[in-house]
Amino acid sequence: MELEQKVEYLSEEGWRQWHLELLQSTINRVYHRVPFYRKLMDERGISPEDITDLSALKKLPFTTREHLEENYPYDLFAVPLKDIVRLHTFPGPRTPIVKGFTRRDLTSIRRLTARFMLTSGVSSEDIVQICLDPGMSVWIEELKEGAEEVGASVIPPDPQSVTNRIRIMKDFRTSVLVTTPSYALYLLHFMQTQGIRPPESLRILLLVGEGIASAERLKLEQAFGVTTRLGYGVTEAVGPGMGYECEEREGYHLAADYFLAEIVDPETGQEVAPGAVGELVITTLAVKANPLIRFRTGDLCRFLEGPCPCGRTTPRISQILGQADGRVSIRGIKVSLSYVETLFKETYGHVPEYLLYVRRRNFLEELELWVAINEKLFEPSILGLHQVAEKFERAFEETFGLPCRLKLVEKDHLDQVAQGRKIIKE
Amino acid sequence: MLTVRNLNTYYGPVWALKNVSLHVGPGEIVCLIGANGAGKSTLMFSVMGVVKPHSGEILFEGEPIHHLETPDVVGKGLSLVPEGRQIFYPLTVEENLELGAYQRFKKEPKERILADLERVYELFPRLKERRRQLAGTLSGGEQQMLAIGRAFMARPKLLMLDEPSLGLAPKLVDVIMEAIATLNQKGLTILLVEQNARKALSLAHRGYVLETGRIILQGRTEELLADEDVRRAYLGKEYRQFTD
Repeated sequence: MELEQKVEYLSEEGWRQWHLELLQSTINRVYHRVPFYRKLMDERGISPEDITDLSALKKLPFTTREHLEENYPYDLFAVPLKDIVRLHTFPGPRTPIVKGFTRRDLTSIRRLTARFMLTSGVSSEDIVQICLDPGMSVWIEELKEGAEEVGASVIPPDPQSVTNRIRIMKDFRTSVLVTTPSYALYLLHFMQTQGIRPPESLRILLLVGEGIASAERLKLEQAFGVTTRLGYGVTEAVGPGMGYECEEREGYHLAADYFLAEIVDPETGQEVAPGAVGELVITTLAVKANPLIRFRTGDLCRFLEGPCPCGRTTPRISQILGQADGRVSIRGIKVSLSYVETLFKETYGHVPEYLLYVRRRNFLEELELWVAINEKLFEPSILGLHQVAEKFERAFEETFGLPCRLKLVEKDHLDQVAQGRKIIKE
Repeated sequence: MLTVRNLNTYYGPVWALKNVSLHVGPGEIVCLIGANGAGKSTLMFSVMGVVKPHSGEILFEGEPIHHLETPDVVGKGLSLVPEGRQIFYPLTVEENLELGAYQRFKKEPKERILADLERVYELFPRLKERRRQLAGTLSGGEQQMLAIGRAFMARPKLLMLDEPSLGLAPKLVDVIMEAIATLNQKGLTILLVEQNARKALSLAHRGYVLETGRIILQGRTEELLADEDVRRAYLGKEYRQFTD
């Protein structure tokens, strides 16, 4: 860990050299091993030898989740299949998205997650309990391994009722709770309404999957008597621990030895002005099985200017301020409209007018899918309208690992509420 | 300490180094591994100014050295132990060592040079025993010791070694590797090229993998030792499994 921690304090010149070396070797590998990237580069007349400084990255084209789908199953691997020792899969509208790991990838992601834990104050003395939805299975796996690497004891999220989870928390003296902000707020609400006192052993809340407003953060800290730290990650790119707060808690430090970050205008793809909000774009530097070049994360944020008082020289970004068009994050799970539309087509044979309505019930985000009633809805099968709706809900939950309630509403009402939007988040 | 950026070197029409960037920090042992013809020796020759790079930068302690002639590069504090030792056969062991300090005789008091000579003898007692013997009569291992000693006599800040274990018996390989580790512990920074990837990786702190003139991989040596590509190409893991 020692060398890795030194890395976070490299000089500007040191970073420039380190990044150049890693970028060049990454491009050398993907160009010679991944026909998809070779084609993209050849089409633009760029060879690996053109990457002579970091700004040359901008000559390379973006990759998107659609590319990941199109190249399913094997076409984005930069190593022989036999070197891949783990495969994670994510839902995609047409095909699944797959991410492979070599043994080395597993080691490096484990180290990164461990760094996130250590920086957040977790030690080998801690009991780490993870409470995340099954839709975040990749996070669960990697956070568990990161905590184990630190030497902590881990309680992964087995299916338990809230009451049992709290009981486990108390009986095993959980000191670190890893969850999403909305689940933490829900848990607090639950304890308060049931008259349960928060476990005294708890000292850190690690909040992942989504951002949190400072008022809510303060509320959690006071009510639980804990400190909170936030973590950021993009599952398709590197994983949890890509961004983490230091003791200053001013934005996420990016793990710059693992990837390069750019922030671009989601419309034009051009780099935004320093400090301006845009879409985070990631180029992996330490991934062997599935390297990604200029991957559009869909997450909107901005770079924080100026050095951090903690002395780390890694770049910092703000919390995620929203999603680029067509996506919404619910309890840390990213739902893309194009995926939803594909599900509609499969169930109803067409895409009706709809609205994704994210509500908060007892602080827990819930998804309602409003569908404007039209005649075609009655067509697809002899099943009744409600049975088709149930089928859709089942398919949705299977795809995203997230429940959704389908609600049929009058078209006028939907139009009035939606006002041209497809997503509303309370 | 040493920073190489976008180095391109040609051997006649052959593009031997393609956009190579790497660095060696103070106190580090960094190794370069790669198959024959990958460009490892070319890289060392380019740093030493023996072959002129076509383009790119080589910085030593922040100063560009890619335009310098070899003697000036040595003067800056870089020393190379070339592949195949290249010692002077008709001269004695001690004369060979003194030649290593050639650039220092005019500038430095003789005592310092003699003190360094003693250091070399301390590191390789065998050389002391044979100090009056002609270098051509030494065994392969002793010649390698002499080549390292001679490079050390230039008092380098960075010592580069090209295939120091080549053609040596396993026992002697260990002696040489131990000597390199000792030099490093005494503060010498080392860039090592080795065919014996396993030995090199277990000795070094970090490594780079060269393939047909390009760097395709780098990292801490424990990562490289565990890397599937490195194991397949340079550690002969699968070959062994196949025959076992």
